[in-house]
Amino acid sequence: MEFWLARTVRMAFTLFVVVTLTFVVLRTSYDPVVAMLGPDATNREIELFRERWNLDKSLIEQYLTYIGNALRGDFGNSFRDGRPVFEVIAERFPYTLWLGGVSYLFAVLIGIPAGILAALYRGSIFDRAIMVVSVVGFALPNFFLGILMILLFALIWQVLPSSGASSWEHVIMPAFALGLTLAGILARFTRSAMLEVLSKTYMLAAQAKGVRPARRALFHALPNAALSVVTIMGLILGNLVAGTVVVETVFAWPGIGRLLVSAISSKDLAVVQALVFVIAAAMVLINLAVDLSYRMLDPRTRRST
Amino acid sequence: MITRRTLHKYLMGTTALALTAGGPGKLLAQERPALRIAVDNLWRTMSPMNGLSTTGNRININFYETFTEVDWFNDDTGASVVPKLATSWERDGNIWRFTMREGVMFHNGVEMTAEDAAFTLSEERYRSEEAYEPRGAIYTSNFVRVEAVDRYVLEIETDAPDPNMPQKLSGPQAKIVPKDYYLEVGVDEFGQNPIGTGPYKVTLFRPGEVMTMDAFEDYWGAPAPAASLEWRIVPEYAGRIAGVVAGDYDFAVNIPFDQQEQVRRFDDVVLVNTTAPNYVMFAFNTRPDPEDNPLVDVRLRHAMIQGVDMDTIVQALFGDETFHPAIPFNFPDYGDYYDPDMVDPHPYDPEAARALVEQTDYDGQELIWHITRGFYDNYETAAEIMIAQWAEIGINVRMVVVDNFSLAYQRPFHLLNMSNGTAFIPGDPYQPLWLDWNPNSTRASADWKVWDPTDRFVELGAEFVRAVEFEERRAAYLALSKEWQDVTPGMYMWKRLFSFAHRAGINWTPSSGEMRMYGDYLRIT
Repeated sequence: MEFWLARTVRMAFTLFVVVTLTFVVLRTSYDPVVAMLGPDATNREIELFRERWNLDKSLIEQYLTYIGNALRGDFGNSFRDGRPVFEVIAERFPYTLWLGGVSYLFAVLIGIPAGILAALYRGSIFDRAIMVVSVVGFALPNFFLGILMILLFALIWQVLPSSGASSWEHVIMPAFALGLTLAGILARFTRSAMLEVLSKTYMLAAQAKGVRPARRALFHALPNAALSVVTIMGLILGNLVAGTVVVETVFAWPGIGRLLVSAISSKDLAVVQALVFVIAAAMVLINLAVDLSYRMLDPRTRRST
Repeated sequence: MITRRTLHKYLMGTTALALTAGGPGKLLAQERPALRIAVDNLWRTMSPMNGLSTTGNRININFYETFTEVDWFNDDTGASVVPKLATSWERDGNIWRFTMREGVMFHNGVEMTAEDAAFTLSEERYRSEEAYEPRGAIYTSNFVRVEAVDRYVLEIETDAPDPNMPQKLSGPQAKIVPKDYYLEVGVDEFGQNPIGTGPYKVTLFRPGEVMTMDAFEDYWGAPAPAASLEWRIVPEYAGRIAGVVAGDYDFAVNIPFDQQEQVRRFDDVVLVNTTAPNYVMFAFNTRPDPEDNPLVDVRLRHAMIQGVDMDTIVQALFGDETFHPAIPFNFPDYGDYYDPDMVDPHPYDPEAARALVEQTDYDGQELIWHITRGFYDNYETAAEIMIAQWAEIGINVRMVVVDNFSLAYQRPFHLLNMSNGTAFIPGDPYQPLWLDWNPNSTRASADWKVWDPTDRFVELGAEFVRAVEFEERRAAYLALSKEWQDVTPGMYMWKRLFSFAHRAGINWTPSSGEMRMYGDYLRIT
């Protein structure tokens, strides 16, 4: 009970700080009016726009109104098209979920087994090959990989669509561009965690007892390496969000990453604020899920809390 | 090798064959192709004036229509207009009488009448305190009365004789909106669900993502050649180019000039460059803000004009695709007003420029040039060359590239990037010379204003506005232009270019920045 209370208070405080900081930074760093109305806007238009969006009020008044509404679940309307921001986000969210889900699945299904195999065959050509590929995947900026793939698969060979999200074929290139980096990270960390566990004396004991290698790896080593791997799996979800901003732009994928970029460039403050809140809330929940998984995976953490 | 493009082509061919075999008949929507266009951006609203923008005007000409229309097909200078929703017009003193086309339907099934045309230009919409689209005020500032006198006849009374009304009514302020629907939903909602009388009707608009349109079956004119249009944002130019080459898109816009050679190598892609009625320029901050601004001295400004070899720079950056207008406002777009033999009072002459600099108190102080990143193709490159040439005559300029106009407008600055449209009255120098530099213009009244028009400029401007007959108007224009050049609050650099790519098998004529997908402008084979 104490655990849950402490976590809930910390989560609420984190989100409050995020909302407040975002509000202050966005409202004081630039004026959205010219971006919204264009460089030739007349003074009268500017005046009307400010009135319409309460930008003529003091910062503190704007903040109190915003917080009051946010507590009731109302994060305002998009400056761009006047629709409630959560309606705009809800429209884009399934696309990001689709792309993110496929990329994440790709990263987990490729990265973790590759890391385990690299650790089990440490020092072999197989190990080195996996590590080279994972370093390349980790080091290649995903915008570069994306453009390279468009060049090869859409422009030269013309076997995949260049951009958009209207069929399952459209997800292949962006998911690979996004997932390869994450798979590289996961493979490297899984390998390190497995190597550490494999050097423990209880692994030697298992071997002495005659437990078969595959069983030793899956039932003795992997559960003990899982703590580090789960932590990384949580952290790379943050990378996933950052990656979607770039990959969705390169592939014209209509998800929330691209929404964030276009909202920032058009100074749609309400949408930017709501998106930052949604992303922060997602990260807080992911961290909570990771903490809960620790409690499942490691009995010692249950006893200590 | 069978690729996505070839497979698509075979399927289209088979469909066409099957349809032909079915015998001649009325062109049905499903027999026409659906076109996909990769665009760089979509403006946030499509209401005609609140959404006035390059990215909005490019598209909305397909679902809105004006009283008259610039005839880009037969006259690529953009100086000629032809009837559109107005079929005839006549002037009697200060009153213009327009007869509107009968039987024209809005996309919601309501007939367009003179009431809608009058509301479009009304005080309520443009000029009142609570105007729906206040930007329209500067385009209709001389209007005294707009009234529907009959179901299809409209009268516009101006405060003085205005010989250019039919030309003016080809502009964005004259895109006719349905009065009842507009008032019912309000301008914000109208901008998201726009209704006009054009050959296509809007079916979906998501700013920041996509707009789709279907052919309007009750259109009064020739049927739209495409069954539907999808305008989808593809932010990266590499994605747009790849999309057309791969056959995912039929058109792509805004192909950077330095990438065009590469695009020309593809046989199945046609590249189209066209100049816009718009000149890229920079403004001098001529005001003592900051206090020590050395550019308040006109000699320094003239030195900077004479210190850059703009013809060579433009030739190097754009080849023959565009040009540098050496003499401000003596633009080829102006028909009879244009004088190709006019002598440039400030030609490129680095020696003369250096001598002018020496006459001033300029002490080598750094001048800041605010530039909006990537807004005008090749602008930063041109600026680098110009800065090097200014350094040779002893003027120290530093460019500060910022992400948007909000930042560019923040003082202090000495030079500011901008551009100047010329299309408000096709074939007449009114817009760049007076509309955009008069005391009420943003350049002379906004927080970031760059000049205070001289009394002489204001006086000559009033004379120019009053001038009706061509010779009188031309004399007034020349005097006003000379006064502007004596002050020189800016420099016109080149005529802006718009670039497009489309797949082979499409015969498309560009109409400046507008993408007209109808009539003679679009033929699909």
